[in-house]
Amino acid sequence: MKAWLRGISLLYKKEIKDAFLSPFVYILSGLFIALGGWVFFSLLIASKNATEATLTASVLIPSFSLYRFILMIICPLLTMRLLSEEKKNHTIELLFLSDLGNTQIVLSKFFSSMTIVLFMLGLTILFPVILGISGYSDWGVVVSGYAGLVFLSAAYISLGLFASSLSSNYVICLILAIFMMLGMWFMVLSAGNTDNYIVGLILRYFSESFHFENFVRGTVRSFNFVYFLSFVGFFMFLTEKSLNSRKW
Amino acid sequence: MERAIELINVSKSYPGVTALSDVTFSVKKGSVHGFLGPNGAGKSTTMNIITGLIPPSGGTVKVFGEDVLEHPEKTKRRIGFLPEHAPLYGTMKVEEYLKFVQAINSLRSTVTHDDFDETLELCGLKDVSHRLIKNLSKGYRQRVAIAQALIGRPDIVILDEPTVGLDPTAIVEIRELIYSLREKHTILLSTHILHEVNLICDHITIINRGRIMNSGPIHELQSGSEETQLIQAEVMSWRDEIKPILFRDLPLEDLHVQTKDDFTKLTFKLKGKDDYRAWISDILVKQNCQLLGLTKQTVDVENLFKNATEEEGKGRFQ
Repeated sequence: MKAWLRGISLLYKKEIKDAFLSPFVYILSGLFIALGGWVFFSLLIASKNATEATLTASVLIPSFSLYRFILMIICPLLTMRLLSEEKKNHTIELLFLSDLGNTQIVLSKFFSSMTIVLFMLGLTILFPVILGISGYSDWGVVVSGYAGLVFLSAAYISLGLFASSLSSNYVICLILAIFMMLGMWFMVLSAGNTDNYIVGLILRYFSESFHFENFVRGTVRSFNFVYFLSFVGFFMFLTEKSLNSRKW
Repeated sequence: MERAIELINVSKSYPGVTALSDVTFSVKKGSVHGFLGPNGAGKSTTMNIITGLIPPSGGTVKVFGEDVLEHPEKTKRRIGFLPEHAPLYGTMKVEEYLKFVQAINSLRSTVTHDDFDETLELCGLKDVSHRLIKNLSKGYRQRVAIAQALIGRPDIVILDEPTVGLDPTAIVEIRELIYSLREKHTILLSTHILHEVNLICDHITIINRGRIMNSGPIHELQSGSEETQLIQAEVMSWRDEIKPILFRDLPLEDLHVQTKDDFTKLTFKLKGKDDYRAWISDILVKQNCQLLGLTKQTVDVENLFKNATEEEGKGRFQ
């Protein structure tokens, strides 16, 4: 087990070093914080009665929803190269021939991307802190919203990682990941349009935005956790199978 | 003979394509084994199967007597592999990269070889160990790729076209490096440069369209194909009446006569392994042909390759 974890840690450290030595992560972080900050302060200025209830409803919840859309772009951008680049440069063969297993490869790539996204989300904590200084104290919604963003990022990263295992072309991987995310988003729209209650319920359950909204509103249920954990597990499983199929 | 690698009736099929068919050959321990074949013949597929990177569709692959499919971890550890495309991380420094390779290859090993400095020295990488791989010349990058195959002191080193795409100076350097490895490792090397095989290898296997055409020690293959031999002679004067005399006194299969300018070139195709040059010289002198020269055509690797791939009809060689 110790050797197994060491394997993950070796590849994770390499990925993190590569990421933070390239300007790409800093550019994405800069864009994320700039866009997030601009929207946050615009919403804050637009909020007329600065009470706790109105700040939560008109500033925090819309901000978290905006972060979600930014993550829909950022996560595929971060994951598109993870496995496709290894394939393109034939370094995947080096990993396959080493003592590392496919699960270790997938997990280390996943954790490295999660670290980068957490770094980006960490930068946005500044905004609720500013609200806190001004007297805002409904921290339950803030914590729940950020937990939702973390789970959502994990879901997007696992999906992006799977897309990255399908081709050695970054652009194809990026497009695949974005289309899969949009597909899930449309499930919620379709759920609203269907007359069949059961079908509507099922479509809504399969869409990540439905579960994310529960986090943002502070009304988290156990099935929201189950959904995100099974989502991540399912796409990690598919990625691992996709890597295995390459060997055959 | 202790066999380092043994392939028995190995086949590999993809939907609609048979990449390898009944491939059987062995690599002797301590030898430098050349693996030749035209593009698409199945060299890389065979090498990938030996290393365990892809499984065969059928047959058995053994490394030092152990089945690659049954004991993948054990056999993997005894092989160092340089794939056709060097698996390098350009953003890493040479030292950092080799240490990373050493670490990921020794996760399950109880014995770790501290051969890092030795490998750097052997591959001539000491001076560039702190440089980024992406900034190195192609020759040096190939040295790094070979070094990653040597890390961990594997008994067998498999090199898939290690000199392809390099300039002549780098080719010579890499060839010398491979030559220096023969003392400590069994080497299986695929190459497109037949001259290289003549210089480095003592055994060869020729593959074409997924089938083994020839395999064994080079000298045995050369003598084996000397069932018929070619001798060329140049004479100043030639008469057609001499032809029946030559056919009568020599085990001639064929005689090709080509007159050019002031002299005639005779090509004798003879049966057997004896040296008939003295006989031919004697006859031609007695017939006042004014003999200018006499040479026995040796069967080099190039001819062996040509014969083996031509048998299949459509062998391409670059």
